[in-house]
Amino acid sequence: MKRSKIIRIGLIAVLAAIVLGGATGYYLFNMPHRDVHSAKTDYQLTASALVTEYLENADAANEKYLAANGDSKILEVTGVVHKITEDFAGNKVIILKNASDKAGVSCTFNGEIGSLSLGASVTVKGVINAGASYDADMELYQDVVLNNCTLVN
Amino acid sequence: MKRISFILSIVLISMSTSTIAQVSGKLKTTKTHIKFFSTTPAEDIEANNYASVSTINTETGDGVFSVPMQSFEFEKALMQKHFNSDNFLDTKAFPTAKLKGKITNLSEVDFAKDGTYLAKVTGDLTIKGKTNPITESANITVKGNTVSVSSKFNITLADYGIEFVKGKPASNVAKTVEVTVHSEYQPE
Repeated sequence: MKRSKIIRIGLIAVLAAIVLGGATGYYLFNMPHRDVHSAKTDYQLTASALVTEYLENADAANEKYLAANGDSKILEVTGVVHKITEDFAGNKVIILKNASDKAGVSCTFNGEIGSLSLGASVTVKGVINAGASYDADMELYQDVVLNNCTLVN
Repeated sequence: MKRISFILSIVLISMSTSTIAQVSGKLKTTKTHIKFFSTTPAEDIEANNYASVSTINTETGDGVFSVPMQSFEFEKALMQKHFNSDNFLDTKAFPTAKLKGKITNLSEVDFAKDGTYLAKVTGDLTIKGKTNPITESANITVKGNTVSVSSKFNITLADYGIEFVKGKPASNVAKTVEVTVHSEYQPE
């Protein structure tokens, strides 16, 4: 009697572990991408400040902004619309850049951005993928790369 | 009157030369697409990157791609996390990869004439801080003032310090990954 009870409890425990393990595995496998738009903003700053931070000390900036699993910091960057283009995926790309800065912030949007005019000051929320740097092979300054962007104002 | 027509003719000549003269010198673009494709009996995995910066110099044949590694997007979030993690591409420590090449048969590529040219490229590919020489071919298409480059080649992950000996990555990630590169340049 006692022994069969132990076996029964044991069986239930094993079954529960299998179901739980399977469910966890299933969840992990189908884990959705982070919703950058509704996630909390980590830093608010200007395009100029972000570019300067990277050009002065890229290692420190990478340490501060990049995450090892790719879910890096979510930034709200304010700057002047310098250029509007479209990438090969058909997404709109806005470069925020001050005329006097060496580099800007390139923001790739997922959806529509409506009408934006060059020279307008806007705030963009997005996840940082890479910082600004001078590339000696290309002989040019590379922009900060923000992805999954939305307009804040 | 004579003077006006003189100025006018200069303006016209400079206008016509600027439309005739096609792209030359150094071209820069952010209109790029880099794709990684891995296939194993277990599954196919694809990652796309649209945020690379590239330059091509039509006079020297030098071409460069700078690739922000965290801009690779996977269908599955978990795969994207694995890709970025330190035992795979360690994108926090190595945020950009670089492809630096030179066209070795530049005389066979006419950037001033519409057409598609097969360019031979040699250079270096740096991923995860490790550099290996590459020799590949690329299609260069010139149409008006637009230059397009496309290439497809394979890389061996172990050459870049990426090796899986056991577990799911070992069975589901191919040892050799196909890389597709596409870019489009226009004079600014």
